[in-house]
Amino acid sequence: MDETANRDDMTLDQVLAIRRGAAGPVVNVDEPLVKLVVFVLNGEWFAFHGERVKEVLSDFPVYFLPGCPPGLEGVINVRGDIESVLSLRTVLRYPAADADSASRILLGQGAEIRSGLRVDSVEEVMDVPQSLIQAPPHTIPDHLRSLVLGIVAFQGHMVTILDMDRLLADYRVGAL
Amino acid sequence: MALDIKRFVARFVEEARDHLRRIEEGLGQLAAGGADAEAVNAIFRSAHTVKGSSRMLKLVAITETAHKVEDVLGALRDGSLSASPDLCRLLQRGIDCMSAQVDQVAETGTPSDPDPDLLAALAQAMGGESDAPSSPPQPPPSPPPQPAATATEAQQAEVKLKSAETVRVQLSKLDELIKLMGEVVSSHARLRQRLVDLRGFERAGDSWGGKVQGFARDLRDDVFTQELLMDELHKKALIMRMLPLSIVFEPAARMIRDLGHSLGKDVQCVTQGSDIELDRQLIDRLSDPIVHLLRNGVDHGLEPQETRQAAGKPGHGTLRLTARQDGGFVVVEVADDGAGLPVAGIRDKAIKKGLLTAEQVAAMTETEIIDLIFLPGFSTSSIITDVSGRGVGMDVVKRVVVDELQGSIAVESRPGQGTTFLLRLPLSLAVMRVLLVEAGGQAFGFTAQYVAHLLDVPAERIITVAERKAVIIDNEFVPVVPLAELVGVPVTPSKRSGCLLVVIKVRNEKLALLVDQLLDEHDMVIKPLPEHLRGLALVSGMVMTGRNDLVSVLQASTLLDAARRQRGGGTSAPAESAGTVGIRVLVVDDSLNTREIEKDVLEAHGYQVTLAEDGIDGLAKARAGQFDAVLTDVEMPNMDGFSLTAALRKEEAYAHVPIIIITSREKEEDKRRGIQVGADAYIVKGDFDQSNLVDTLKSLLG
Repeated sequence: MDETANRDDMTLDQVLAIRRGAAGPVVNVDEPLVKLVVFVLNGEWFAFHGERVKEVLSDFPVYFLPGCPPGLEGVINVRGDIESVLSLRTVLRYPAADADSASRILLGQGAEIRSGLRVDSVEEVMDVPQSLIQAPPHTIPDHLRSLVLGIVAFQGHMVTILDMDRLLADYRVGAL
Repeated sequence: MALDIKRFVARFVEEARDHLRRIEEGLGQLAAGGADAEAVNAIFRSAHTVKGSSRMLKLVAITETAHKVEDVLGALRDGSLSASPDLCRLLQRGIDCMSAQVDQVAETGTPSDPDPDLLAALAQAMGGESDAPSSPPQPPPSPPPQPAATATEAQQAEVKLKSAETVRVQLSKLDELIKLMGEVVSSHARLRQRLVDLRGFERAGDSWGGKVQGFARDLRDDVFTQELLMDELHKKALIMRMLPLSIVFEPAARMIRDLGHSLGKDVQCVTQGSDIELDRQLIDRLSDPIVHLLRNGVDHGLEPQETRQAAGKPGHGTLRLTARQDGGFVVVEVADDGAGLPVAGIRDKAIKKGLLTAEQVAAMTETEIIDLIFLPGFSTSSIITDVSGRGVGMDVVKRVVVDELQGSIAVESRPGQGTTFLLRLPLSLAVMRVLLVEAGGQAFGFTAQYVAHLLDVPAERIITVAERKAVIIDNEFVPVVPLAELVGVPVTPSKRSGCLLVVIKVRNEKLALLVDQLLDEHDMVIKPLPEHLRGLALVSGMVMTGRNDLVSVLQASTLLDAARRQRGGGTSAPAESAGTVGIRVLVVDDSLNTREIEKDVLEAHGYQVTLAEDGIDGLAKARAGQFDAVLTDVEMPNMDGFSLTAALRKEEAYAHVPIIIITSREKEEDKRRGIQVGADAYIVKGDFDQSNLVDTLKSLLG
């Protein structure tokens, strides 16, 4: 009931987060928030931590790179720096699909390497309270288990939060 | 005379300041306990240099200070003193004193006398801890108490800004500037493209009348003006990052003299052309290969003194480190006047290490055997010494020079006279001339130094030899491979009537790549791939075209390897016909490609093939072993095919052995001459195909 007074102390992001989560449980705004970039891949919902995604790029032409490893679509030119583009579908073992207009490239930053990651579409960039993130269920496939940080409910979907750092590091050593 | 001295003094001041700065840095490391032997050595050498050059200019006061500092550093270096904090401070005082003296020289031309207490303290540091017999003449009265007054006074007088002839810029900032320049160059290429587009509009419809034309003209002028400015700016920015080769040469030469000393070899190291400037990027990575080559020269190249004298050579060995400019490249030569490379030793080693079989090696020419030293894991030193022979070496040298520095490396070895390594390097890696081509619907780039020819030939000139395609260029068979096939894109059927060939050359091996069209040729900024893709051997970097597209620049040496692998797979089924097994054929040709192709053809038919690279080599090999047939080219260095044939016919063992001349000389008189000197058959390369050669050989062998 004291909600309006409370809102004055909140940032816009926090207000929006509450709006979105309106269907869910009431949120304590003092809680630490986690920024997530939510995207869709093969009809399933995933997210990366926001600080691991430098940029979301659309309409970037991808150039062929001869002799490049599987899973690598090619390279893009981001203001003078050449960045690789991984097909996240291939890396996470989903069937390949043609990129359509909704498709985006997330520029992901791991501890050691940086690369673009092709996803089917980006749905939302949002802050969620830490407490809403649940431990990963036991039902997730083996090849994903080490990459999953947790899951969170969003707009009626279960969003799987992936570990960007681990994903890029594993890709680099050929573990994926 | 006074004028002359002044010039030297100015140079001395500059150099001394540089050395003092280095000593200071070194002392900082030393005080922090992070200095290794080499660091101590480095500051010792700097002090020594200052001492020497001050003495030459008779700046006695500086010489005296430097001498004392050097003594202490010398003791540190050989371990008779340890780097205590007190000692470091004392040394720092010595350096400060020298800095002040140098500043005085810069201003007035004469340095003031050093603080006697400081000298005494330095001398005492020597005597006090090491108990050296040569203790200072006057026993120092009291170490620390009074110097404070005089020293600070002198310092206060000297603390002021030094003249700013140079500005030190952090390398990373300079790198950023150059990267930005590259972007400007790229964006200009886009501008140029707009101009082309506009011209297209102009042609399409002139409804806009003269307006479009006028605009196009203005734009053209603007683009042109900007191009001039930009090129200038780019050059200037690059020059800021250029450094003289002396940065690499001088320490390397010094190190080599020390090394010779430690090995008991009297070594002289001569440098030349060290004022040539290269991009810092290259200089940084050039040091290791050069030091390695020099070390090899001292360790393997130079013979012991007695051996040298017995051979009538001067007792001391000479290593030559020279640089000269050659077009847009710099050629660095590392030469020794030692025994030359032990070809037999290399051959045996390659067999013993299992790198090659005895038959393979027997078929190789001398140059090819020498090239084996660049194989990973190859090292000819029979005993592992401290210096080299550790098996990491020449392959790394080659990798750095060829892959990282976009250069090439060659070896020349003369028995008894020495070995020379030639490194050919671009002046800068920032901008390179790049040829863009299209194959299989994709664009690809080549850096110009690997492109030997561009040819547009009618399809008939592509001939089939041993189930693969080749073309004859300058009297030499060059294999032809579609570029699309090598880089793994679908080969598109060509709409052209002729064949467009890009002939690439790495050292003495050539490969003709079939491409669909030539797109462009320009100076371009080569951008590195993301760090995790640097292992991609096929691509050395990327360039941006006028349309802002990224294009892979292909690594020529990798393409050659890929083509060779493809070939190896293709001819895996040998000895189809019986009756040829064990028949030994000697192939003499100065072209590597031709030799290889003829060898493939003959081996595919079960012949056993030995290769020789010219007439002299051929004659020597023919004499060393009995061959059942000899195939020779005509035009070769040292001894041509006619002379070889004539010489062989004089040998009893070869009086009746079939000799086939294979050449591109089609003239009747040449054929006549070939038969006159005693050849059994004369095959013109133009109508050369495998059945022709093999049939001729079969019929001659009966």
